Amino acid sequence: MAAVGSAIGLGNVWRFPYVCYENGGGAFLIPYFVALFTAGIPLMVLEFSVGHWARKSPPEAFKKIGKKWEWAGWWTVLIPFTVAAYYVVVMAWCFSYMVYSADLRWGLHAEQFFLKNFLGVTSNPLILGDIRIPVFLGLIAIWVCIFLILYKGVKRIGKVVALTVPIPTFLLIILTIRGLTLPGSIEGISYYLTPNFSQLLDANVWLAAYAQVFFSLGLAQGIMITYASYLKRKSDITNNAIITSLADAGTSFLAGFTVFSVVGYLSASQGISIENLGIAGPYLIFVTYPTAISLLPVAALFGVIFYIALLTFGIDSAFSMIEPIISGINGKWKITKAKATAIMCTFGFFASLIFTTGSGLYWLEILDHFIANFGIVTIGLLECLILGWGFNLHRFREHANKTSDIIIGRWWDVLIKFVIPIILVILLVASMLDNIINPYMGYPWWVILVGGMTPVVTIFLLSFILMKIKGKGVKT
Amino acid sequence: MNLSLSAIVMLIFGSFVLYGGLAYFLYRAFKGKKQ
Repeated sequence: MAAVGSAIGLGNVWRFPYVCYENGGGAFLIPYFVALFTAGIPLMVLEFSVGHWARKSPPEAFKKIGKKWEWAGWWTVLIPFTVAAYYVVVMAWCFSYMVYSADLRWGLHAEQFFLKNFLGVTSNPLILGDIRIPVFLGLIAIWVCIFLILYKGVKRIGKVVALTVPIPTFLLIILTIRGLTLPGSIEGISYYLTPNFSQLLDANVWLAAYAQVFFSLGLAQGIMITYASYLKRKSDITNNAIITSLADAGTSFLAGFTVFSVVGYLSASQGISIENLGIAGPYLIFVTYPTAISLLPVAALFGVIFYIALLTFGIDSAFSMIEPIISGINGKWKITKAKATAIMCTFGFFASLIFTTGSGLYWLEILDHFIANFGIVTIGLLECLILGWGFNLHRFREHANKTSDIIIGRWWDVLIKFVIPIILVILLVASMLDNIINPYMGYPWWVILVGGMTPVVTIFLLSFILMKIKGKGVKT
Repeated sequence: MNLSLSAIVMLIFGSFVLYGGLAYFLYRAFKGKKQ
């Protein structure tokens, strides 16, 4: 359940529908399913198997595989912790918007409200601007929540996810039903689902599908290794991995209906074509969706429901990003879970502050772009190479088969050793070339260097430093 | 406006693979627990 909660997050609601629409609508589902079954589920089984076999945090699990690989474990836990620093800020925005929904504070100009009144976006990333008080207060609330959930360990996580997985799913279903009953919704759904099969011949569509599966499932971030280490000895690894993957993909598919039914309604009521409505990234949930909500009867109620759904979807993912590093610190330096949680939440809070300023949106977009395209993909590749080539991969297959009804064959080894690494290398090279030819969002090179490359390189170096610092053993 | 046939096919295909698959593996998990 915790792994399902971790995999399902804000990205399912805003990223999948957009990527699907950009890459051939319904036709995108075909490469998406191929990617899910050839990369997503096999890697999920691998991470579950590693965590369940090692029964330790990712750094210790990699150390158990080979002492020289401990740094790779630290890298996998540092990346999600960095992501959490800005992910929590987006949750703080949702928190403020949940309050604003009560009186529809964005009025008739949702874009202007979001960028100027709410975020106070500055003219360029160098001008930091003020800390935005509503975002700052939301940030404190979210970090305190994360601390309270994590400091008592895995038992409390279990209790929290028993609520935060079904509640937002239920709310999403309510919103979808409401969306589908709106005039114009069918146009939106048609836009989402009508396949453009000619795009199946485009390599970029296949790359987008693999990237979407990879990021959405939360792979290569130490999260699944950590959660699998808490599973009971007799837990069915393969079945758990498949359920987690399908639940995540199913939520994305459902979110497409929630979003596009409302987008169709907005398009019909404002007389603007769907192509001209902003549906990418934060704009979808902080500009397009609020505009649509304002047009609904009982608007405040649906606004509050929507942002509660986002907050509850997001909180599982947020604390799952912090749990691996806490588990790593707890394992290596004998620091109790409560103390490690307090240290990392305080660290995370201060790291998040930059994103609460007027230039926060710029830095958030740049960091997210580099972490997602380079940080996570590189770890995924490393994970396949270290576990596939630096260790007897069949031992993980046999470990999974020992606990599972579904028996995995040698084809799984081929996927982990050859197919997935080749796809990830292509993804990485394509991403690098694209970034060299078209600098991200036209930012000057020094902004990309400071906001994107520096954190990725720092995390890489920090992994080696953490490996070199002497540990003290395990204390729970 | 109605959904085109190809959109309906994609809708059924997506629902069958994802929700049908999820229901099947959840059923297996519960069956396994009972045993």
